[in-house]
Amino acid sequence: MDTPLIRGIGLGRTYGALTALADADFAVMPGEVRGLIGSNGAGKSTLIKILTGAVAPTSGSVEVKGETVRLGDPSEMIRRGVACIYQHSNLAPAMSVMDNIFLGRQPTGRFGRIDRRRQRADAQALMARHGITLDLDAAVGTLPTVKQKEVEILKALALDARVLLMDEPTGWLSAADVVRLHTTIRGLKADGVAIVYISHMLDEIFTVCDTMTIMRDGRVIAEAKVAEMTRPRVIELMVGEKLARDSAAAARVPRRPGGTGEVRLQVRDLTRTNVFRDVSFDLHAGEILCITGLIGSKRTELMHVLFGADRADSGTIEVDGRPVAFGSPREAMAGGIGFVPEDRHRDGLMLGLSMTENLVMATLSRFCRALLLDHRAIAARSTRSIAELAIQPPDGTKAVRLLSGGNQQKVLVGKWLNLGPRVLILDEPTVGVDVGAKAEIYAILRAERDKGAAILVVSSDLEEVMTLADRIAVMVAGRLVAIHDAEAVTMARVVDEIGGAA
Amino acid sequence: MNASIQAFGRRLAPQALPLAILVIVAAFALSEPAFLTPGNLVGIVRQVAITGIMAIAMTFVIMTGGIDLSVGPVLALSGVVTWFSLDAGVPLPLALGVGLALGIAIGMVNGVIVAFAGLPPIIVTLAMLSVVRGSALILGGPDLHSIRGQEAYSFIGSGSVFGIPVSVLIFAAVAIAMVFVQRATPLGLRVAAIGENERAATLSGHRTRLTKLSLYAISGLGAAIAGIVQSSQVHTASATYGEFGTELDVIAAVVLGGTSLMGGNGSIARTVMGVMFLGVMNNGMNILNVPLDIQLIAKGAIIVLSLALGELKS
Amino acid sequence: MTARSATLALLAFFVATLAFFWFAAPRFATAGNIENLMSGFSFVAILAIGQAFPILLRGIDLSIGAIVALAGMVAFDLVLILHWPGWLVIPAAILAATLAGALNGVLIVRLRLQPFIATLATLAAYRGLVYSISGRQLVPGLSTTPIRDPWITGLESYLDIAGTLGLSDLITLPWVPLSFFVMLAVLAGFQFMLGSTRFGRDLYTVGGNVEAARLAGIAVGRVTIVAYALSGFCAGVAALLLVARLTTATEALGTGMEMSAIAAAVIGGVSLSGGIGSLYGPVIGAFLLGTILIGLTLLGISQFVQQILTGGILLAAVAYDRVLFLRRQRRLTANLGEEA
Repeated sequence: MDTPLIRGIGLGRTYGALTALADADFAVMPGEVRGLIGSNGAGKSTLIKILTGAVAPTSGSVEVKGETVRLGDPSEMIRRGVACIYQHSNLAPAMSVMDNIFLGRQPTGRFGRIDRRRQRADAQALMARHGITLDLDAAVGTLPTVKQKEVEILKALALDARVLLMDEPTGWLSAADVVRLHTTIRGLKADGVAIVYISHMLDEIFTVCDTMTIMRDGRVIAEAKVAEMTRPRVIELMVGEKLARDSAAAARVPRRPGGTGEVRLQVRDLTRTNVFRDVSFDLHAGEILCITGLIGSKRTELMHVLFGADRADSGTIEVDGRPVAFGSPREAMAGGIGFVPEDRHRDGLMLGLSMTENLVMATLSRFCRALLLDHRAIAARSTRSIAELAIQPPDGTKAVRLLSGGNQQKVLVGKWLNLGPRVLILDEPTVGVDVGAKAEIYAILRAERDKGAAILVVSSDLEEVMTLADRIAVMVAGRLVAIHDAEAVTMARVVDEIGGAA
Repeated sequence: MNASIQAFGRRLAPQALPLAILVIVAAFALSEPAFLTPGNLVGIVRQVAITGIMAIAMTFVIMTGGIDLSVGPVLALSGVVTWFSLDAGVPLPLALGVGLALGIAIGMVNGVIVAFAGLPPIIVTLAMLSVVRGSALILGGPDLHSIRGQEAYSFIGSGSVFGIPVSVLIFAAVAIAMVFVQRATPLGLRVAAIGENERAATLSGHRTRLTKLSLYAISGLGAAIAGIVQSSQVHTASATYGEFGTELDVIAAVVLGGTSLMGGNGSIARTVMGVMFLGVMNNGMNILNVPLDIQLIAKGAIIVLSLALGELKS
Repeated sequence: MTARSATLALLAFFVATLAFFWFAAPRFATAGNIENLMSGFSFVAILAIGQAFPILLRGIDLSIGAIVALAGMVAFDLVLILHWPGWLVIPAAILAATLAGALNGVLIVRLRLQPFIATLATLAAYRGLVYSISGRQLVPGLSTTPIRDPWITGLESYLDIAGTLGLSDLITLPWVPLSFFVMLAVLAGFQFMLGSTRFGRDLYTVGGNVEAARLAGIAVGRVTIVAYALSGFCAGVAALLLVARLTTATEALGTGMEMSAIAAAVIGGVSLSGGIGSLYGPVIGAFLLGTILIGLTLLGISQFVQQILTGGILLAAVAYDRVLFLRRQRRLTANLGEEA
């Protein structure tokens, strides 16, 4: 019993200049349920991806039952009995539930013909065993997300895995479904399966796990038995002493709930059918309002409506007291709104273009003289932005691709600051950014706030929210459930509110 | 080992094209001295002028991840329409205007369908290839229409100024104009932005669909100019010109210039180099009497090789 | 099953089109004309079946026209120059086509080229290869020599069903060309493979969600190469049918056929966004295309107009595909919202 079922030794993974995971040791015994916790960007998902073979580590090795395995090959890991319930759906939408459950390994008979009868029987047995009911013939793409999640769970269970990795398995699930999943986990545990359970919900970790591994900034910070841990201690480890330091620093920076009192953005009863409803809040000049909540609580969708990328079905938005209805990002920008999107690679930056080009991308028309680009003005603007934001290296001709995550993010923020928006929205502004750059970005945002900017930040990172916000709004399942003055609220209270109503 | 090869490839890739042109010119010059005469060199440029104009005009489209397969028939149609106009006694500038406007219009139809309806460019322009060819044939029939008594028109394709053929001058003018557009106007940056990241461009407030529409119009215009130059060069207009495979030459030139078909990363100046490379290859192989079939195979192999090199680069 | 209802809708539309020309076009409703339709478009249907595989993977194969010429020329050379027996020539020509298709797949997988550009390049290269192996040019005089091998000419035979059943005195039924049965065999075999085997499921998975396929341990590269090889295989079969009909092969054989094949596949509901469609659709699509083209010819509409219409039909098919795609997307977002 001394050999771990799965073990990672000195695992590391870098993406360009960004270190996602460094020197992580990780082991799970048969019959052990190990919780894996940490803030966003702590390296949990990278670790999981290495263990499933989806990603090859840049250093270290993985052993299954004491044997070293070939890395970066999903089929190798499946063969060795490692299965994963992924956070994001990994299903083929046009195919039936039954085919998705046995993706790539449907039972076959003569002439390679799929044995439909056996496949159906197996699937039904599986559903009965785990108390899940699904229409096996429905195309997965036509199912609601919660049902898709159940397909994803069955798909992993169907592998009869010895090691089962679960990356936020309960997102979307109802309370009753979560209880059922936990019963399943206990059953598997009794069978000697090793389980890794990632969740943001500390409640779940304390309910179902035996042991836990806590990660921060790409490193394993602590390992412990759940029985020997308390919630406050876990939170402290997750966010680190840094929080103490930072919140002390944040305390020195006076918080300014309500800003100057001038309402820049007023949102009333904003509803997008089936997405979010009755969202109301005010954003003042000179304050930072953070909206926090779980992934899937529809914060990003709300921002998309504010930025004109989507439309609301009812409710009103006013900027500087004027009612607005933006039909496109272009109109929103003309109306004084800037938006730093969550995924800087997908939605924000032109990675192959230079820093300078990216910095003026949202304001091209201001750099035109008689239909021609004013390269001198562009260069001047770029030099100023680079200096103001302390972007490294200070060379505007460098392609953004070559910068570190933190500096890329600074370029993106700089691009929107150049617009001089009345309201600046930032969606997860520090995801995948190292600690130093995080602090710099906070400083930039605070400086803008002090100059009178109205800033709206969406963040799942509580550490960030507690550090940065003047006011904190909590969103749960498409509703804004509470707005607090940051000084008058504790982290524990916010944590409760985030998970509470789900 | 593998990494060092890749690093080597990365360093070499940007210079590969000029180097390759030099090597090939040297090789041809050594094996056939006639290759290096001024007459032959100008001849090469004259031969590639038509393909070159189209390749330059299509570079932006390809930079945005699009493609325009319809250029061959557009070339034919604009030649035929211009011929009809001249034949009907329309004054030359107006006749040219009609031909060019038609190219722009077809390009805009492509652009509207691709940019606003969101249909895949390859299928849209493949369908348009068929539609435009059919239209050209209805208009002009399968026959050759010889152009007679149009001195001014013939000058476009066959005349020369200070010993330099007018078609070469037009090619150069188009190239210079488009290099200018890419370097000095916002359009150049908008095209690069779409190619790099269309979503981000939209979220930066760019009117990406309008931009794409205009790029297909430019490509259509390029094909129309090429059509006029060609019909004037051979003194005939025909609905069958720009036969299947023309677009392949054009795309090959753009791709050889290092423009990625996935979008982003492209330059007009390098397209011109790609055009010259193909021209030198064709001319050299003709001088050395390489049979047509080997030329075709070589062309395919060169495209694949250069693309694989591009892949190595990224 | 939405895919099935889409196929049925297409079938209904096909029948309606057939009915229209039946009454509207002179000499459409004759046995001879139906024979023309069957023999003239069975090979298009086969090409469309082949084209369905790359499209299911969100790819495309533009080189099939050139592969048709290549397989045709291989058959031509083997029969007329090397005097191989027909029973050996048939598998050899199909093998050559399959290898050419597989090479497309290898270029796409190993060199990570876009399918469209890889097959555009091989379109040129294969066509060049055809010229260089062309027996018409290597051996003077052969260009006028017809292929008389019974195995190959036998592919161009007709079966008198009415006569066999002793009904010929009662009604005049069209004689069914053998090529039609070849098409049915190809359809049956590949539809079985696609619908009922692991490989077929894997193909749909790769087309529907590459990342999911990779994580499920499916060998994505191998599936891709096989898909393009199958496209080549179908082009080889189609080439033999064409050679049998013409009793010769030319360098220009198959030019432009990729367009008909792609159009037929897309009309047949094989979605360009990947992972959706069956093989019945492309076959119906091919005959729908054929009905329209032949019908229009009989109505006296010029070939040039038909060219325009082919383009128009292709555009309409992709537009329809796009509408379906957007509808699916909307349903997906609606589902996402349900739980919020």
